[in-house]
Amino acid sequence: MKWLELVQVAGATLLAAATVVVLYSIGVRFTAIAGDPEQSAPRWMKSLAYVCFGLCGVAVLFGLYLIIPYFNK
Amino acid sequence: MVALVIALALFFDFTNGFHDTANAMATPIATGAIKPKTAVALAAVLNLVGAFLSTEVAKTVSGGIIKEGSDGIQITPDIIFAGLMGAILWNMITWLKGLPSSSSHALFGGLIGAAIAGIGIHSVNFASLMQKVILPAIFAPIIAGAVAYVCTRLAYALTSRHDPETGSKLTQKRGGFRTGQIFTSSLVALAHGTNDAQKTMGIITLVLIAAGTQEPGSGPQFWVIAACALAIAIGTYAGGWRIIRTMGSGLTDVKPAQGFAAESSTASAILASSHLGFALSTTQVASGSVIGSGLGRKGTSVRWGTAGRIAVGWLFTLPAAGIVGALTALLVKTGIVGVVIAAVAGTGAVLFMFFQSRKSHVGHHNAVEVEEAGQAVRFRKKKALAASRANKLKDGK
Repeated sequence: MKWLELVQVAGATLLAAATVVVLYSIGVRFTAIAGDPEQSAPRWMKSLAYVCFGLCGVAVLFGLYLIIPYFNK
Repeated sequence: MVALVIALALFFDFTNGFHDTANAMATPIATGAIKPKTAVALAAVLNLVGAFLSTEVAKTVSGGIIKEGSDGIQITPDIIFAGLMGAILWNMITWLKGLPSSSSHALFGGLIGAAIAGIGIHSVNFASLMQKVILPAIFAPIIAGAVAYVCTRLAYALTSRHDPETGSKLTQKRGGFRTGQIFTSSLVALAHGTNDAQKTMGIITLVLIAAGTQEPGSGPQFWVIAACALAIAIGTYAGGWRIIRTMGSGLTDVKPAQGFAAESSTASAILASSHLGFALSTTQVASGSVIGSGLGRKGTSVRWGTAGRIAVGWLFTLPAAGIVGALTALLVKTGIVGVVIAAVAGTGAVLFMFFQSRKSHVGHHNAVEVEEAGQAVRFRKKKALAASRANKLKDGK
């Protein structure tokens, strides 16, 4: 019983943290590419980066929504 | 007695706050993502907000470990008083030593010690103690550390850039993580507020129920929530700079991407566990994450000496707080004189440690060498920024 919960906590932690980190990292990468001086079309790269940051923020907010009991009553 | 216990509980909440500022804010301060003073202010506000978010943990805090209720032993304000004394003293000692130890374990240890001395060994539910305290103590840092390790690897893999033709390394441009750290560390502070402020709420509610002023089985009253939220916020703002130093630069040299990964893991672990009813310790999760992220980046060394010192501190937390709690419980048993002696001795000890700490002052100006962290970053712009920031700090002294 307790072990199942432990696995659950570990899984949830990994899932949440990995989602946030992956999305944000991709965002950082796109920003980096967009910042390259020799790149010819950096503009859509930049917006793609913002999309990633946005998705990351949404993921965090969704996580909070799941956790705060006020929203789940 | 009830008023005394509530005051003591709020003071414990305060020590909890400044003891645990480091969990959220040590890594962003170390990488220079946020200025030290701003960081603690941000953490304080988010702790305040976090404390109001949920009261689920408060309802389950002390339940189970000490047998209570109709068929169990009635827990009295005296026992809680003694337990809190043990917890506060241990928090102060570890703060003086700069050890990030678990405030929750200090609290549990104190309560258990007090219950054994005050009522007897049969009053402690050891099976529950094992499940709620010992097992999480072992697994919390491991889970958080493993997740932080994976996340650090992911972050570096996704942002490592090589020239497609020559295969040589391009500038990596990982400065974006610095901005991200502001948000992830805020999440940790929020999680800390929801988790730790509630422990004190639970205690005060327990006292009120024991004193008969509140219905058994009801949740914390609003003024209790507000008082606890404020106490932990003020404590957080006071800032435990000694522990921030240990966490921020004592374990490993943290860079923005690592800090980001570590904080995401910490926040996820705390929020997930408190939501799924598994009581992890904020401090242990945060320490585990920092070590994990240190292992995850090539070329970083983890200072295992410091890590070992922290681990020893954890081992001693339960028994040490328990012994102080037990001694206080024995004193309190002797009657009103004992209570006065315990209160005076406790206050004296706290004051002594406070003045002891003044001898080697660790404040926001010297908690973490920001300059050193700034030099670790490759590109020049940020380096200059960090250097100027460090200079500003020096001027401010």
